[in-house]
Amino acid sequence: MKKAAGSHRPTRMRSKNRSGFSSDQTSDTAFRSTSISFFRIFIQCMFCIGTLIVGFRFTREAHFLRASFHHPEDSFSRRTGARMGSLVSIGNRSDLDLRIQEEIANDPEAFRLENSETIIRSRVRVDVGRHAILIRPWPHPDPFEVIQAHHLIARVQMEQWQLYGSKESKPIIAITTTFVRSFQAVHLTGLLHTLSLVPVHVTWIVMEAGGVTNETAYFLSKARVHRLLHLGFGDAMPAGLKERGQLEAHMRVEGLRYVREEKMEGIVVFADESNLHSLDFFTEAQKVDWVGALSIGLLGFAGFEETAQSRIADVHQEEVGAGRRDNLFSRRTFEPQVQGPSCDSEGNLVGWHIFDPLPLEEEVYTGIMLAQNRRLEWPNFVLNARAVWKTEGNQPEWIKSWDEWATPKDGSAPDIKAILRDDKQVKVLGDCGRKVLLWWLRAEARADSRHPANWVLDENLEIIVPAKSTPWPDRPVRVPPPPPPPAAATVGTGSKRGAGSRVSGGKGRRSKRRQSRPNIS
Amino acid sequence: MVVVFLLLLLMPSSRSATSISVVDRNVVVGEMGEMLQLRKRRRRRRGHVSLLTCVVGFLFLCQVSRLAAAAVLHRHQRISGSAGDVLEDNPVGRLKVFVYELPSKYNKDWLEKDPRCLTHMFAAEEFVHDFLLTSPVRTHNPKEADWFYTPVYTTCDLMPNGLPLPFKSPRIMRSAISYISTHWPYWNRTEGADHFFVVPHDFGACFHYQEEKAIERGVLPLLKHATLVQTFGQNHHVCLKEGSIVVPPYAPPEKMQSRFIPLSTPRSIFVYFRGLFYDVGNDPEGGYYARGARAAVWENFKDNPLFDISTQHPSTYYEDMQRAIFCLCPLGWAPWSPRLVEGVIFGCIPVIIADDIVLPFADAIPWEKIGVFVAEKDVPNLDKILSSISPEQVLEKQRLLANPAMKQAMLFSQPALPGDAFHQILNGLARKLPHDPHIYLEPGQMVLNWTEGPVGDLKPW
Repeated sequence: MKKAAGSHRPTRMRSKNRSGFSSDQTSDTAFRSTSISFFRIFIQCMFCIGTLIVGFRFTREAHFLRASFHHPEDSFSRRTGARMGSLVSIGNRSDLDLRIQEEIANDPEAFRLENSETIIRSRVRVDVGRHAILIRPWPHPDPFEVIQAHHLIARVQMEQWQLYGSKESKPIIAITTTFVRSFQAVHLTGLLHTLSLVPVHVTWIVMEAGGVTNETAYFLSKARVHRLLHLGFGDAMPAGLKERGQLEAHMRVEGLRYVREEKMEGIVVFADESNLHSLDFFTEAQKVDWVGALSIGLLGFAGFEETAQSRIADVHQEEVGAGRRDNLFSRRTFEPQVQGPSCDSEGNLVGWHIFDPLPLEEEVYTGIMLAQNRRLEWPNFVLNARAVWKTEGNQPEWIKSWDEWATPKDGSAPDIKAILRDDKQVKVLGDCGRKVLLWWLRAEARADSRHPANWVLDENLEIIVPAKSTPWPDRPVRVPPPPPPPAAATVGTGSKRGAGSRVSGGKGRRSKRRQSRPNIS
Repeated sequence: MVVVFLLLLLMPSSRSATSISVVDRNVVVGEMGEMLQLRKRRRRRRGHVSLLTCVVGFLFLCQVSRLAAAAVLHRHQRISGSAGDVLEDNPVGRLKVFVYELPSKYNKDWLEKDPRCLTHMFAAEEFVHDFLLTSPVRTHNPKEADWFYTPVYTTCDLMPNGLPLPFKSPRIMRSAISYISTHWPYWNRTEGADHFFVVPHDFGACFHYQEEKAIERGVLPLLKHATLVQTFGQNHHVCLKEGSIVVPPYAPPEKMQSRFIPLSTPRSIFVYFRGLFYDVGNDPEGGYYARGARAAVWENFKDNPLFDISTQHPSTYYEDMQRAIFCLCPLGWAPWSPRLVEGVIFGCIPVIIADDIVLPFADAIPWEKIGVFVAEKDVPNLDKILSSISPEQVLEKQRLLANPAMKQAMLFSQPALPGDAFHQILNGLARKLPHDPHIYLEPGQMVLNWTEGPVGDLKPW
């Protein structure tokens, strides 16, 4: 800022006081210079503020800054609204504007409305004009409210099911065979949760080989089904897979005999414990009239990682010639193997897809098999419970009577497909077998696995091998001293071992385990 | 039931009739029993038994029908608004409507010029005209008419993009009124107090799409005494005249009814909305469109998994609404929108975010029991509000929405069905009868000022 001429040196002291309150202003020049410079400062400040106001556009960011949750009534008040209103109407309003301008051009007289600033406020309670966009300080979902909303959704869906969905629902009778072994926990837990979630009444008949045991009863107590029947079957489960299959068939027939004698109503489903069911399976099973068939997918090969397809590709590769490894990778597409009914284009049953489910000491066949030793699995079929009742007069003639099929004369294991006299009458479910609604997970521990059934070690193992296989020295692990026990503490018997004991691999091999820490009382 | 029947038959003339009423429903029977006693004492015994059996048989049938109705209605509930249980009233016989014959430049010519008028959301005016021409309430004798209808299509002047232009509408309306006032004496008789007009535009008879301008203009002065049937409804607003009938916007019934999905499909979407949040073309700075409410919904809930909100319009819009529990119906440039109709048809509870809004047929339909009303200042708390509604309330609202009378009342069905929006309009008009005798003016008495209003409106059309 230019200083007033002639007032430098003699008034240096006073120049310091220029911005402030110059009390000793005796000379006229000094007085005039301070007033002029004060005036200049004032003008400069005013211009600064003015540029700030005019240059600061009310963008949306300004909205976000100024919109605060605590002032909902602090609308960008009508005054701004009125001013901005006139600005907006001239701005880019696309087609409407063009038409307005056209109309105005045609007849300017007609559109000389009153000044938009004079809004008739008294008759309108809700403000017209610009409003703040209210955003709360933390605009993200609150987990408790989300849970509450989900409870609401669940309740609404339950009501919908009761009003509209449950008319055509028949109860389900699930027949399962089990026996105590290492993998029983793995399979049975999944099955009991699935059956607990089925929306209709489920009667669960569990046949246990070797008699009723406490371990199985412990699992079954967690099931939330309508009715649970835990029955024992005298013979223990044999070791070989083929024999196991035969014993299971006998056990299932025993379960069906129970259904027959009790005259249970519903749909019989063979819910093997090593099967994975989707809930759609139970919905689809409702469509059965007498006998239904559906596809089951096969997962896992006991002991082998490669799939059958890749093995075939390997064989083919060797035939063609070495050196084209990349081809193998490109052809290695996983095709899940599915066993079940197969239809023609009209949806009529024409045959069955059967895979040999035994482990791969033998060849794997694809395609339609009619050989007698290739059988469909029991879970492929779904029955109406009335098909096994004593009142055989009510059944259609293509269903054999109980005595004919359930106890084969030659002593072989009964097969569910033998209940049919005529294959064509079977109702094919799951979009003609194309939709796979259940899977057979063929993973099982070795028969001589000694791992405890429910995966809890009640007592120490017979042989404990130290886990240390590294050359590094043991590090002393600092454990913070436990809080003093309030009452007499009885030491639990080694039940605090959860984290350390995991079985690696499903083979039941005795894996090395970490030495469990003794309880510090 | 049978026991009651038998007891009444064998009843001696004593006070034992009242002791039969053990169940609440049978209180009526007990009271009727008392009335029967009195009758017996007054009358002679001749014909006593036959009268008794008639009455008891009638009561029996009433109870049976009520029980049957109750059994059916556990899925949906009866709807009765502030005017009573009037949704299913039949207007035939309660009123007579005379339809003026206007030259085709007021109605048919517009349709020929642009047939889109029959499918956009303002199509109510065309369909009401169509309906009244063939309705049993129509009369060709104006002397016995209670209401007079003027078929003038003021919302049919469409732009190329389909939106109606309201600039000529005041002049069109004025021209129509001057036509009817010169060709028939009935307008001058009451200055329009027994006439009704259908004005489905954004702000009704204010004839402007912009709220500030609409408020400035106010309702067309010539329509000061007439009854307006409009879609706009907001309390304490110039453009909602007292005594107007608020109707839903037109939504094509066949299009919606052909897209139903099975009712057992579980409703898995919590809140559903499809539409604009920011109108960038007309409101680039934000804060004007929807009074900032839609933008607030977006900013607060765009990352909330419970809110399925977006501007993308999917092809499964109607199916999605049927899989949703709540459907947002926020205001836009005007507080009403066809979303309300769609929500009611598809059983989705409407969440209405528009302060002071008046919903269609508000005296016949108890909207507070059916929808959820959220104040615009409470929009940031919308998730808290909706998740804290108790499941019983939600189920109750869904039951009310499932009532077929409710769905029927929102539709302008072709052909007209009993209980649909046309009949609700006629019911509303019938409820305003009989006319106050003060509306009939002395000959020569003029109440309306024909030169009132902006200068541009006075030009003839």
